[in-house]
Amino acid sequence: MGVLQKSGRIISWPWKYWKWSHHERVNFKQGMLFLLPWTIGFLAFTLYPMVASLVYSFSIYHSKQPLEWVGIQNYAQLLKDDLFWKSLSNTIFLVGIGVPMTLLASFFCAVLLNLKVRGLSIYRVIYFLPSIVPTVASTILWKWILNPQTGILNTLLGYIGVQGPNWMSNPVWSKPGLILLGLWGMGNTIVIYLSGLQDVPIHLLEAAELDGANWWQRLWHVTIPLVSPITLFNLITGVIFMFQYFTQAYVFRGFQGLGYPLNSTLFYSVYLYQSGFLWLKMGYASAMAWILFIVILICTLLLLKVSERFTYYAG
Amino acid sequence: MTTKHTSRYPEPSLPVETEEERRGRFRMRKIRNFFQSLFSHTLINFVGLFFLVPFLWMLVTAFKSNEDVFHTPPRWLPYDNVFVEVHGEQYPLYNVQTNDGVKQLAAIKIIEGVGSFVDPANPNQIMQFEMQQGAVRIAEPIMHISFRWKNFPDAMERGSRPGVGASFWVYFKNSLVIAFFVIIGTLFSNTPVAYAFARIKFRGSNILFILVLATMMLPFQVTMIPIYLLFNDFLGWGNTFLPLIIPAFFANAYDVFLLRQFFRTIPEEMCDAARVDGASEWQIFTRLVIPLSIPVLATVTVFTFLWSWNDFTGPLLFLTSPSKYTMALGLQDFQSQRTMIWNQLMAAATVFTVPIVIAFFFAQKTFIQGIKLTGLKE
Amino acid sequence: MKHKQIWLIISILLIGSMILTACGGKPAEPTLLRVWIQWGDNPAQIQELFDKYTKESGIKVEVTAPLEEDKILPALTGSDPPDVLVLSGGDLVKSYAKEGMVAELSDAIKTGGMDLNDFFPAPLNQCKAGDKIYCLPWGTDMYALFWNKDLFEAAGLDPETPPQTLEELVEFSDQLTKVGADGKLEQIGFLPDQAWGHSDLYIRMFGGFWYSEDGAHVTANSQPVIDALTWQQQFYTKYGVDEVLAFSSGWGDAYMSPDYPFYTGKLAMYVDGEWMTGPNFISKFKPEQSYGVAPFPYPADHPERASTAVVQGTVAVIPSGVKNKDAAAKLLAWMMSPAVVAEEMCVNANLPTSKKAAEDKCFTANPKFKVFVDLMASPNAKIIITTPISLEFNDALGLVEEQVLHTGADAKPLLEQLQSDFEPKLQEALK
Repeated sequence: MGVLQKSGRIISWPWKYWKWSHHERVNFKQGMLFLLPWTIGFLAFTLYPMVASLVYSFSIYHSKQPLEWVGIQNYAQLLKDDLFWKSLSNTIFLVGIGVPMTLLASFFCAVLLNLKVRGLSIYRVIYFLPSIVPTVASTILWKWILNPQTGILNTLLGYIGVQGPNWMSNPVWSKPGLILLGLWGMGNTIVIYLSGLQDVPIHLLEAAELDGANWWQRLWHVTIPLVSPITLFNLITGVIFMFQYFTQAYVFRGFQGLGYPLNSTLFYSVYLYQSGFLWLKMGYASAMAWILFIVILICTLLLLKVSERFTYYAG
Repeated sequence: MTTKHTSRYPEPSLPVETEEERRGRFRMRKIRNFFQSLFSHTLINFVGLFFLVPFLWMLVTAFKSNEDVFHTPPRWLPYDNVFVEVHGEQYPLYNVQTNDGVKQLAAIKIIEGVGSFVDPANPNQIMQFEMQQGAVRIAEPIMHISFRWKNFPDAMERGSRPGVGASFWVYFKNSLVIAFFVIIGTLFSNTPVAYAFARIKFRGSNILFILVLATMMLPFQVTMIPIYLLFNDFLGWGNTFLPLIIPAFFANAYDVFLLRQFFRTIPEEMCDAARVDGASEWQIFTRLVIPLSIPVLATVTVFTFLWSWNDFTGPLLFLTSPSKYTMALGLQDFQSQRTMIWNQLMAAATVFTVPIVIAFFFAQKTFIQGIKLTGLKE
Repeated sequence: MKHKQIWLIISILLIGSMILTACGGKPAEPTLLRVWIQWGDNPAQIQELFDKYTKESGIKVEVTAPLEEDKILPALTGSDPPDVLVLSGGDLVKSYAKEGMVAELSDAIKTGGMDLNDFFPAPLNQCKAGDKIYCLPWGTDMYALFWNKDLFEAAGLDPETPPQTLEELVEFSDQLTKVGADGKLEQIGFLPDQAWGHSDLYIRMFGGFWYSEDGAHVTANSQPVIDALTWQQQFYTKYGVDEVLAFSSGWGDAYMSPDYPFYTGKLAMYVDGEWMTGPNFISKFKPEQSYGVAPFPYPADHPERASTAVVQGTVAVIPSGVKNKDAAAKLLAWMMSPAVVAEEMCVNANLPTSKKAAEDKCFTANPKFKVFVDLMASPNAKIIITTPISLEFNDALGLVEEQVLHTGADAKPLLEQLQSDFEPKLQEALK
């Protein structure tokens, strides 16, 4: 990371304050003063809640009575809880299928938007616009589009002779419906890929063309490796984001219970919310939160490790 | 005697092609380019439809009349009742099967399956007809293509809880107020922090920065419940805007990262020169760095506005009175109250989206520039 | 240096003033009482009703209606709960009482000067746990069969004669269900879970309930429960679960709008409550609707169960964290006074829970509404039984119902599972 380039020492520990030079002390005070907003915010809104939720995760929360310490009971109950596993598998479906699909699709769109086509900037705006539509509005819009009877998706499918499925109330199709909604709003991923594509050195592409490579070979051997850092960035942020999927699922089910239909949209974060705010099992929900944190951490580290073999950093 | 000139470099041995062949090759390339261009145009348009059609559908639905919304199969153009004026009031026109054939009559009132109709040419004689006899519909409303602009003000007046002082205008205003304060807080708190990481060489800045980045990976669920209890129970700030605004004044990892990357593009020499001249860090920050950073600050403003306008979970947790709802919460509330009036809902959604689109167009240039300048690939 | 100091001072002032405004806004005396209501047929009218209390007492009352499900618990347990919370049903009150979230009302009843004898016993029953009272009923709901007379006529049925027995209901429904040439549904005769599940009514009609009458045992795997769920299933499986689901998708969303299928002629018969006959629903969304109301049909081999209906309805609770208990008690007493009950119930077409209020003529004026009044007075009017585990049990039962109806799953094994899951929990909770 660029973070580590500046000082000779990789990490400068603020040990041994008394051994510092006057200059270093002045700088330290200045730095800390400038950092004050973040420091207070970190203590109040990050550190304290983290410790508190860890404590809650080992207790049962009672609204009018003091916290009841129960050790690992919450965690043990979670492992036996069918809904916990259901919500986890729902989320893994989304992460495992939704994220790669989004990456592939947005890369494809970025390639399209990099072609020499007339009116390119208009197309770029069109592809990007849905991603700035507020989440609640786009979810409600897609509820309307995915309506099996009167929605245009099934009508359009009908034109080509396909019987559109029951997107809203069939548990098999509710998640794919949500993935479609996600694809509609992938504009920001496309933009990031696009700026990466534009940084691919033209001379490399030209050299490959002279060597007789066709567009597919150029894509596969030159472009894709060169944008691999961006792919990694999109992959990791996509995974982190998808694990916390909440708003769309909450809005999608309308007035029905959370997770409708048949708990197919009960994602991890939704079940967490349900446990904490619908059933007031705040300790239980806190335990779920910490498990989520660890899962995300492990996934990210795994991805970073595996990616070392596949990413190529130019220069 | 003629000597042959031999050049120092060997002559390249190209296959000699005739003018015919060259033109032929040129034509082939043109044809191939044409098909390639056709292919890419088609593809880009086809995919573009996927992004464009839902938008258009939202707009079209926003203009439809109540009856037209559920027309199967769905129609692309909005149809509305034809209205006719009788005694100074507007009434819908119906095709009614009377004893003298089909007549166009205005429907004054319809109760329990019986309609009171009036011939607009003869407005004083009221005729009563049953709307439906068995499977036969006696009276059918006359529809024509018309954009019901009225849906928009209707939707905005409505909100999800009529009569409790909450309409979409109120939600809109609430969203604006919150976004405004959040932007102020973000700008004021993130810039000094980012500057410190970017240009002040102090001990421990690297570890701290790694810590800042690490907080980005923390899922919000981990801190959600204690923060909720802190704001709601402990501080008693439930049902106010404060839990949504105050945290913005304490910096966040994303904006710190973004701004730091940008600040680092400001040449170190300039800052050093200023330091040599005796300027304090604060002066460098305010007099040198900030004026140079207007583009990225604009980017941060746009990003923050987008985020705040869009925010749902925060308002969901902390706002309980409908009069305090933001537009995101109001829209969700509207559709969860079993009062799905799709055309008005789409109208409200359109109004919700419009400020964002406007903001985006204004900031488009600085936006893309901002992403580039932060050097994401670093 | 100077700039930095000014900057610090400004930011401290800014934050400080915000904190002060937040803290300073809590008056000691109640100048504002808040009433939160879970349903919201006509919030404007309710606010007007409570404005009358403001005229009498000088205290402003702010009504918030309707209320999201996931706001109820935070409302009850937050540090700033509403003074009165009105719930759509009383089945969760015992769960709340067990957690200490709602105040026991004996004191409030004394302070407000309320007469417990004025309440009908059946609705009051859902609020009592032993001799402790945790809520007070504010309007009773009963459910009956609604049918579309025009569609009856079109199908060749007498529009004035509803089905009398369950078997007739199935027959009529078959005649009223239309499938188009393309194999798609165009009209459904009867759908048992519109606009929401009514298993409690059906299970009662089959002669049982999912709790024992004393509330001491879970009886989810008893025969009436299995029969009721299996009976409901046929309306989905006969025409193809997927087709029915596709056709009825989004119906529930449109309940309070003119697009509800009963109004658009897509649903011929369904079960709904007495408020439909009032000004806020059919008259508002489809005044030209030609419809009828009748008691829900009974099984042909059990004619003695005619006019069985479940008595349930709105209850009002006082959250235990309320700051000014006396003011809340007085407001509650005013709400329960016969005059107010009469006015509120008459305007919204709800059944009165106060005996004195029931004497008002408005309750017998509308013949369609009178059907419900008779149901309430019928000897077969059944109470719902509630327990402290209702919160989780209801959700689990709802899931089983969804599985049986929407996927055609076999009811018996699912109910057995439900029984073995929850019987121990109930025993644990009752200790």
